[in-house]
Amino acid sequence: MKRIWIVISNILIMLGILTFVIVYSTLESQSAVRSQRENFEKSTVAMEQLTENYLESEQLICDVWAKYINEQNMTMDEAWSFIKVSHVSDNISAHIIYSDTLQGKSTRPSIIEKDNYEVSYSSEEILKDKSWIKTATKHEIGVSKQYRNPMDGLKSIAFSNYITLNDSGTSKEAILLRVIPVKELIEKWVFPQEEFKDANLSIINTKGEYIIRGSSYSTTSDTFFEFYKFYNKIDATSAEELFNKIVTEAGSLDMYNSRKEKCVLAYTSLGDEGDMVLLSLMPLKSLSTETPENWLLIGVVSAGLLMLFIFDFIAMLNFNKQLSISATEAKSANKAKTDFLSTMSHDIRTPMNAIIGLTTISEKNIDDKKLVEENLRKISLASNHLLTLINDILDISKVESGKLSLIPQTFSIVDTAENLVNISQPMIKEKNLNFSFRTNSMNIEYLYADQLRLNQIYINILSNAIKYTLPGGSVFVDIKEEESQKDGCVKLIYRVEDTGIGMSKEYMDDMYQAFTRQTDSRVNSIQGTGLGLAITKQMVDLMEGTIECQSEQGKGTTFTVTLDIPIAEYQRGEMKLKPMNVLIADDDEVLLKTALETLESLGLKADMARSGAEAIKMVKEKHYDIAIVDLMMPDLNGVETIRRIRKEADYNIPILLISAYDYSDVDKEAKEAGANGFLSKPLFRSTLYNKINELLGTEVESTEPENDYSDLKGINILVTEDNDINWEIISTLLDMYGITTERAENGRIALEKVKNAKKDQYLLIFMDIQMPEMNGLDATRAIRALDDPWASSIPIIAMTSDAFSENVMECLNAGMNGHIAKPIDIKLVIKEIRRIKENTKL
Amino acid sequence: MKKLIYVALTGAMATSLVACKPQNKEKPIYNISIIGDYSNFEALEAEFERFKDIRDDVVLTYEPVSDYRNKLATMLEGDEKPNIFFSYSWMASDEKYNSVFSHMEDLSDQALNMNLDCIRPGLINRKDNKVLMAPIFSKTDGVLVNKNLFEKEGLQVPTTWSGLLEVCAAFREKGYENPMMGYSKNPSGNLMYNLAYPIFVAELAKDPEAIDRANNPDKVAGDPVAGEYMRSALNVVDQLIKQNCINIENCDKIEDNYNKVLLRFFDGDVPMMICGADTPSGTKKRESVSAAYQANPFSYSFYPIPVTEQGGYFIDSPSVQFSVNKDCDNLDVTNEFMRFLLSDTELNNMSSIKRLVTPTKNLFFDSIYAPFANVPIERTFSPDMLGVKDIISAQIRIASYKVGKGELTIDEAIAAYGTLK
Repeated sequence: MKRIWIVISNILIMLGILTFVIVYSTLESQSAVRSQRENFEKSTVAMEQLTENYLESEQLICDVWAKYINEQNMTMDEAWSFIKVSHVSDNISAHIIYSDTLQGKSTRPSIIEKDNYEVSYSSEEILKDKSWIKTATKHEIGVSKQYRNPMDGLKSIAFSNYITLNDSGTSKEAILLRVIPVKELIEKWVFPQEEFKDANLSIINTKGEYIIRGSSYSTTSDTFFEFYKFYNKIDATSAEELFNKIVTEAGSLDMYNSRKEKCVLAYTSLGDEGDMVLLSLMPLKSLSTETPENWLLIGVVSAGLLMLFIFDFIAMLNFNKQLSISATEAKSANKAKTDFLSTMSHDIRTPMNAIIGLTTISEKNIDDKKLVEENLRKISLASNHLLTLINDILDISKVESGKLSLIPQTFSIVDTAENLVNISQPMIKEKNLNFSFRTNSMNIEYLYADQLRLNQIYINILSNAIKYTLPGGSVFVDIKEEESQKDGCVKLIYRVEDTGIGMSKEYMDDMYQAFTRQTDSRVNSIQGTGLGLAITKQMVDLMEGTIECQSEQGKGTTFTVTLDIPIAEYQRGEMKLKPMNVLIADDDEVLLKTALETLESLGLKADMARSGAEAIKMVKEKHYDIAIVDLMMPDLNGVETIRRIRKEADYNIPILLISAYDYSDVDKEAKEAGANGFLSKPLFRSTLYNKINELLGTEVESTEPENDYSDLKGINILVTEDNDINWEIISTLLDMYGITTERAENGRIALEKVKNAKKDQYLLIFMDIQMPEMNGLDATRAIRALDDPWASSIPIIAMTSDAFSENVMECLNAGMNGHIAKPIDIKLVIKEIRRIKENTKL
Repeated sequence: MKKLIYVALTGAMATSLVACKPQNKEKPIYNISIIGDYSNFEALEAEFERFKDIRDDVVLTYEPVSDYRNKLATMLEGDEKPNIFFSYSWMASDEKYNSVFSHMEDLSDQALNMNLDCIRPGLINRKDNKVLMAPIFSKTDGVLVNKNLFEKEGLQVPTTWSGLLEVCAAFREKGYENPMMGYSKNPSGNLMYNLAYPIFVAELAKDPEAIDRANNPDKVAGDPVAGEYMRSALNVVDQLIKQNCINIENCDKIEDNYNKVLLRFFDGDVPMMICGADTPSGTKKRESVSAAYQANPFSYSFYPIPVTEQGGYFIDSPSVQFSVNKDCDNLDVTNEFMRFLLSDTELNNMSSIKRLVTPTKNLFFDSIYAPFANVPIERTFSPDMLGVKDIISAQIRIASYKVGKGELTIDEAIAAYGTLK
C-alpha cells in the first residue's frame, strides 16, 4: 500500500473518531439542552404561578381599596387619607387621578418637594390609553406598563381600578393606581436554578406591548412582536400564527435577541383573563451544555490523535526507511548471491581443473614414476586449495560478521609459492600470458601463520590478475622478504602486477565489498564469486597487514600485500654446496640478480647470461659445473639453447631447465635436447639447493623430520567414529605409519572402552563429534569425569567435520586437547600424534 | 528511546489539559443606564454592541421615559439614578432644571480626557466655563428634495430665493399641485416655523442688541421693535404661500410633523418637503414602510431653504445631548463609555444609523446632509452661541404659523411679539 493511502487512511480514521466524538458530544449536548429547555419551560410556568399570585394579591389590595372608596362615596381627600393610612410598605404608593384632567394626589410626596402630594399624569404615556384599567368588581388584573413614578422616579408598575369620587356632591370618575416599584417584583423573579440565572423576564400584553420590558429587548421596537420581527426573519402569516400561539399557549421557541445571540424564549399566559404573557428569554449558550469540558474533550482527543498520528507517521517513516534499506540490501544480497551461485564454480573449477588435469596426465604416464609423483604432489596442493576455498565459502558469513579467526601453523613459504604457480599454470597457459614469478631476499623458509589464509590471499590476488588480463598480456609476481618492525617476524611483501583491464575509480571505492565484481564487456565471461577481494581484505586486516592497489583502466593493476609474519621455530639447517661455477641464463634481469644472490648464498659462484646465445658462448669459453637455463627466452629458447650447448660445448655440463610455466609439454623435447632436470620458478634457496644436490647425486639432509616414521610404530589409538568409511580411511592411513587403532562406534562405547582399558593402552583418542547415543563432547566430558587418573587425562583430539573456530572452542571447552578438521590432512594428524607423544613423555 | 517519546507525549497531553482548564473566576459586571425621551434609540444600542468589544463586562441599557422632561429631576434624585441622561440647551433657561444641572459632570475636565474637539464648536454649550452637555446629534431646518423629480422635469435644485420661486412656478406649470409641502396643522413643528426661524435668527445675528431685545420683549403689551426683526422671515412665509409654492390646505392634511410628513414625501409627487432636521432621521425606516416609494424609489437630500438671493442658512443647533450624572454608580466606566462615544467614528456612526445631522466637523460623510456642508460660515449660525432663548423660538413659531394660516397679518404679528401664544 502506498504511503499516501496509509496517511489518508489514518487521517480518515482520525476524522472519523473526531466526528464521532463531536457528533456524540453534540447529541449529548443537544439532549441536555432539550432537557434543560423542558426544565426552563417548567420553571417559567412556575414563575408564572409566582408572578400571577403576586399580581393577583396586589390587584386584590387595589380592588379592596377601590371597593371601600366607592362604597364610602369618598372625596379625593378622604380617599387619599384612607389609602395613606392603609400603606404597609414604604415602597408602595397610591395615586388617585381624575380621569378627565389626569391630575390627582399621591399618597407619597415628591422626593424633590417633601410636602407636595400633587401628581400629574397628563403627559404620562400609560394613561393615554386607559383600556387596561379594570373595575374593582370584576376582580381582573389591571396592571400598567412599566413607567417611571412621577413622585420618586422609580421604575414602577401600577395596579388600577376605576373609582368614583364625591366631588362637591357629584360623582366624578377617577383612577386609583397602586404603584409598585418594579424591583419589588424583580426581587421575586428569581429562578431557583443556578443555570437559569441569565434568564431575562418580561411581561407583555396580548398586543405584544411591554408591561415590564427585560433588558434583552432593545428599545428599537415598541412591542415584543415588532422586536421579534426586527431581529428574526419571519413572514407576516407565520408571525401572526406565532404571536397568537405565544399569547394563548405555553411553550418555547428559538429566536435572536438584539445582540444577535440565539436565545430560547419560554412563554406562558399570565392571569385568569390571559391578557398578559410572561416571557422568559435566555441565551442558548447559557442553556447549552457545550461546556469547556466538552471542547476540552474534543481538544484532548484531537491533540491525542494528532500526536499519535505524528508519532505513528514518524515511526512508520522510520520503519519504511529501515524496510527499504533492508529490502535493498536483501535484493542486492539476493542478486549478489544468485550471481555468486552462478559464478562460484570458477573458483572451484580452478583447483579442480588442476586435479583433473594432473590426474589425467598421471594416468597417461603411469609408468613415469617421477611425473606421477610430481603430479600427485600438485594434486595434493590443489586439493588443499580446493578445501580452503570451500572453507572460505562456508566462512563468508563469518567474513561478513567479522568473526573470521586464524589458525596459525608452521608452513613453508616455498610450498606456498609453488602452490601458487601450480594452481595458476593452467590458466596462464590457456591465456598464453607472459608470466613471471620472482623472489627477492627470501631467507626464511618456514613461517608460523595461517597458511591456508595466506594462500588464499595470494591466490585470490594472483587469480584475479590472471582472470582480468587479456590473452597475450603479462602478469608479474614478486615476493620479497624484508626486516620487520615486529619482533620475531619478517615482512613479506607480495606484489602482483598485471597489464589487465584495470579498475575504475568508482569500482575501487567498493572493491572490497562482498559480491562485487568489476564489470567490463571484455571480461563478462570471466567467472568469479565476488568474494575474493572481500575475503582477502578481511584476512589481511585480520593478519594486521596492509593491502594496496594501484590501477588504471586499460593499463593494468598492481596489488601489494604487506604482512608481518612470525618466523617458525623450525628452520632448515645450513644449506651450503661445495664451491662450483654456475651459469644462469635468463632474459629477466631482475630474476638474474635475485638468482645470483641466492646461488651465491649457497656457496656457488654464478655467472649471468642474458640470452641463450650468450649462455652458449659462455659455456664454451668457461667451465661451469652447472648451467641453469630459462625456458622462455626471446631469441633462443631454453630447449634450443640446451641443444646447442650439448652440441657445441666440449664437456658434459649438467643443465637445469627453469620456467615459470608448466613444462610438461616440453618435457620430452627438453630431455631429448639434453636437459638434466626441471625447476619451477620462483627460485627459492631451498629449491635450488635440493635440485642441485639431486642433479649432482649428493645425499641431501632430510628436510622433513616427518619422513622418518619409525617413532610412531607401536602406538595404539582409540578412534571414535560412527561412519564406516571414515573409520576405514583413518585406520588405513594410520596403519601406513605403523600405528594401530581400535574403533568405538559412538561416545558411549568409547567411554566404556576407556573405563575398561589398561593404563597406557591408548596413546590418545580421536573423537568424532556428531555420533548416535552419545556425542563426542558428552563422551569427552564423561571421560574427563572418570576416577582413573590415566583414563581421565588421556589426550583426546577432535576429528570432525565441524571445522569452524567456534567448534574448535567447543571441543577444547569440553576437555579435548586438540582439533583436526575433516577431510583430514595425514601430515597434520601425524604432527598431532607426535606432539601428544612428546607431551606424554614429558 | 521509545519510552522517552511516550513520556514526552504524555507530558505534552497533560500540559495541554492544564492549559485548557476553564477559568471559573467571574468578572464583575458594571451596569450603565441611559435615559431619554426617544421612544427607541437603535443607534445608541448599536454603540452598546461596539463598546462591548472593548469592555465585555459592561451592560448598557437605554430606557425611554415618558413625560421625560417632567420626571428628569425626580429621577436624578431618586434611588434608580441614570448614569447618562438626555439634556437640552433650553433646560438652561428653565429654573426647574437647576437641580438637573447640579448633577451634571463637567465633561471639559482635563482629567476626564474627553475628545470634545471632534464636535463643531458652535454646538458646545458652556455654562460657567463648564461643558455639561455633549452634543450627540445636531438639528437644522431645511427642505427634503426629491432629486428624481428635478431631474425628470429638467430643473435644478434652487440655490437662491428667486430660483426657488421660479422652480416652484415651473413645477406648478408642469402640473405639480404642491411644489413645496410641510406640516402645518399645528404650531408645533410646522413648516412656517421651519421657513421663518433661520431667517429670524440671521436677522438677530446682525445686532447683539437685537438678540437681547428679542429675548426680553414686553410680555404684556407686546414689543413691535423686537417683532420687526421677524418681518423678512414672515414675508418669506407669506410670499411662498401667496405665490402658491405652498398649498396650506393640502399641507393641513398631513396629520403629524414626522411620520406622515415622510410618508407624504415618499409618495413621490412632492418636489420639496419642508421640515426640521429631526424629520429626515426617519427616512430610512419609512422607505420600507412606504409602498409608493418601494414601487418607485428615488434619491433625495436635505437642503438649506434658499430664502435669500445669497442662498439658505444653516442654523446649527444641538439636538440630543448627553450629560453624565456625576452621582451615579460606576462613574469611571460611564466616563470610559463617554470617551468612547465622543469620537468622529462613533458620533458619525450613530448619526448614520439615526439619520440625524452629525455634531462632528465632517458633514460630508452622509450624502443626505452633505448640502449643508457647502453653506459658507457667514451664513451658518448657532442659536446657542448667539444666546437665542426659547422665547424667540416660541414667538417666531406662533407668528409664522398664524401668518401662514392667515390668522394674523405680518404687521399684527410683529406688533404682538412677546405676547403671542
